[in-house]
Amino acid sequence: MLPSPFTPHFLTQLETLRLRTRKEFLGSHPGSYSSPRRGTSLEFADYRRYTPGDDLRYLDWGIYARSDKLYVKLFREEVDLFAYVFIDASASMGYPSRELKYLPATHVALALGYIILANHDHVKLHLLQEQNGLKASPFYRGRRRMTDCVNFAAAATPGGALQLAPALGDHLKTLRRPGKAILISDFLMPAKAYQAGLNLLRAFNLDIAAIQILSRQEVDPRFPNGSLALVDSETEQEIKYRWSADARSDYQAKLARHNAELRSFCHQSGIHYSLYVTDRDLGEFVFATLPAIGLFK
Amino acid sequence: MEFLNPTGLFGLLALPLLLIPYLIRRKPKRIAFSSLLLFLESGEAASAKPWGRVNLPPIFFLQLLLLALLIVAVSEPVFSIRPTNIAIILDNSASMQALEDGKPRFALAKERASAIVGQLGAGGKVDLYLTTPRLEKIHAAPLAPAEATGIIAAQMPYDLAEPPTDYGNLLPQLARQQKFERIYLITDHPARGQSVAARVITVGQPRANFALTHLEVQRSSLVNARLEARVEVANYSERDEKLKIVLKGNGAELASREVVAGAGKTASVAFEGFADRPAYEAEIANRDALPLDNRRFAVAPASRNLRILGITPRPRELDSLKAIPGVHIETIAPSDYDQTERTGYGLEIYHFAAPAALPATAALFILPPENSSLVDLGVPVNNVTVSNWRAPHVLTRYVNFNLFRTSYARPLKPQTAGDIVIDSAAGPLAFATERQGVRYLTLGFDPFPYLGRDNLPMSVFTLNLLDWFFASRAGNSQATGEAIFLGKVQSGDRLILPGGKSLAITPGAGFFGGAFFQGIYQLNRGGTVEMYARNLLDPGESDLRAATPIAIGGGEQSSGSASLLFSFWPYLLIASLMLLLLEWFLSPRMASIKFWRGPSRAAQRS
Repeated sequence: MLPSPFTPHFLTQLETLRLRTRKEFLGSHPGSYSSPRRGTSLEFADYRRYTPGDDLRYLDWGIYARSDKLYVKLFREEVDLFAYVFIDASASMGYPSRELKYLPATHVALALGYIILANHDHVKLHLLQEQNGLKASPFYRGRRRMTDCVNFAAAATPGGALQLAPALGDHLKTLRRPGKAILISDFLMPAKAYQAGLNLLRAFNLDIAAIQILSRQEVDPRFPNGSLALVDSETEQEIKYRWSADARSDYQAKLARHNAELRSFCHQSGIHYSLYVTDRDLGEFVFATLPAIGLFK
Repeated sequence: MEFLNPTGLFGLLALPLLLIPYLIRRKPKRIAFSSLLLFLESGEAASAKPWGRVNLPPIFFLQLLLLALLIVAVSEPVFSIRPTNIAIILDNSASMQALEDGKPRFALAKERASAIVGQLGAGGKVDLYLTTPRLEKIHAAPLAPAEATGIIAAQMPYDLAEPPTDYGNLLPQLARQQKFERIYLITDHPARGQSVAARVITVGQPRANFALTHLEVQRSSLVNARLEARVEVANYSERDEKLKIVLKGNGAELASREVVAGAGKTASVAFEGFADRPAYEAEIANRDALPLDNRRFAVAPASRNLRILGITPRPRELDSLKAIPGVHIETIAPSDYDQTERTGYGLEIYHFAAPAALPATAALFILPPENSSLVDLGVPVNNVTVSNWRAPHVLTRYVNFNLFRTSYARPLKPQTAGDIVIDSAAGPLAFATERQGVRYLTLGFDPFPYLGRDNLPMSVFTLNLLDWFFASRAGNSQATGEAIFLGKVQSGDRLILPGGKSLAITPGAGFFGGAFFQGIYQLNRGGTVEMYARNLLDPGESDLRAATPIAIGGGEQSSGSASLLFSFWPYLLIASLMLLLLEWFLSPRMASIKFWRGPSRAAQRS
């Protein structure tokens, strides 16, 4: 059973979208994404000198008329897409609750996954967790596998601390085909940590999109004024903090600066970036925000 | 507004204790958060320190107010309406001469008394009392305020110890009997509690002080003219003090010594071989809180020439005393006793005789007739043997009682308190007593005639008894307030007080009872001058460290005092109770204000 946002109407709307990639990948089947290989699509790629045996249908007669030389038109090959959706399933994604952060994050992943499945492309879900053993689904293809995606994502419970780069590295070791990588995380980690992770994805020649998931309580914390003992959900580290209106403003300024640094890094690295606050409407995010950053064609 | 129990106000000092629970670091609310990345810069690592910054919530001030109200209520605040018929008791004892920042306590007391009188209306009535020498009113009729102010200003403290008085009961009783609306006791004693009718106003604080507690000037012995003085000082402070003692004679310094007196202890110093003066004064040169007790006076011991008047039917036996150097004896027959002028004698010996009343000078009674005021006589015995004697005692020293023989004796039956110095199987043979500084010795045997070396035990005893009488005339002093016995006063005799004031003595006056000031009193009797030393002898007045508190009970009220008081401490208690209810109502609600507290444990588990 699909989660509540995935109504038939919502799914129908999702089917109208197609992911956009900024790189060319070698697919396994004909599809709608361009490949570095020459193929039989309608998209012109290049010319080359005619050699005997070439299909005469691809001769450019216009050039022959001007230069008296035979050239054959080459076209791009269009292949299917392999997409990898990495979902941060560390303890911080369970804050303030699984329902208020992790599940909305999976809903974004599922929405993107459904878009991929609906286009007969391949999608594979990866859970980024500290626990031993990689949690990754097989490649799904076809919209009928949406239920499998939902079951895989919903079965997980966020927990443990996450070292982004090592966790990604473990998953990337199993990748055989380049493609589209979508990283869904709260990115509440030092800049060096997320930069290392994203750079690792770049090194694997993946076209990357980073979607930052934050709950409303993280964007605008409402603690009681006074002395607090704040506990890190992943490391269990505890600090004393005196909460007040000024402290809240200070926190929000730091969060904005942190997000700006993340956005700047993604922009410089050619990574699609978007922020999703979980109390926002998923449809609005998918149909308005993500297209705006060029994630869809 | 006044407080019936001002001691309760000391509870206000405990108010800061309320801060302690707030100072102690309470365990802060523990809230899980996704990541502390953005808090680490301005947060601090959790520490185990028990103390933290003061975080005073509004409830603290409510509790503070509640506590303050309770303490004030315990102090029993009252609004009092000013009384119109009051009594003021001024403590004029010697300790009121102690200095408080250079000002005597008695002056402060007079200021307080004048202030109280000044607050009375024009129709107010004041009765004034002094505490020493005894608690008594110093005027007959109640005084108008203006008149009372003048009388208060004229009062002076006496160099007298305060008589023991239970003011806690006396003041309310006096107020009730005399129908005073309020009675004020202004003293240097602290008060414990107040009542509507009786108020104790305390002037002065506990202070360190030194005092001369003893001065004795005497000759080494009957036949030795060398003078000796012994001075004792007390240190009523919390630390050892080096004190300089100066001995003066007629105002001129004769000698000085330094002595170290331990904290709370006494020390003594001796002077020897100083010049012969009629009067002596010892003084502590160090400054302290009470200058009065830094001086002590003594008169010179009697001349080494002892003048004796013998009243005897057998003068030849007494004349044998002339063989002793320094002894001058004149004898008269008992029948001439009344006609004889008896002044100037250091000792009167009644040989087989006794006066109708005890003489004012030292007297030796030898086998007095029956019905003496001091002793009765028993059955005569011969060759009595001494069975017991007081030792050590001046009268018995160096006497070999194994060889002490009396051929005729009559045991004594003492009729008054005294010491039995020599005792025998038949009864006491020597009975010594002292009244008002005058020594009397009664013998049941006749030690005369003085035979010198021919009867050594008896001669030694005779010399001892002369020494004993001689010592009684040494430069000892008596306490201020003790009467000066004047003897036979004649017209023209005058008494000069220590301050220089000269009083004419009325003929027939037996004594002078107004010796309330310390110093030398000079009795000019014709051409001769007799000196008497009076000193403050009560160490309780000198010890200014902790005066005995006066406990005033609040239960008794004078008939007119109840209407003077509006007690509102019950209302304070009611207000405190309401505050308590308010706190009880507010406290849980303030704690449960809906702040966001992070995910529930159940949500985290799901």
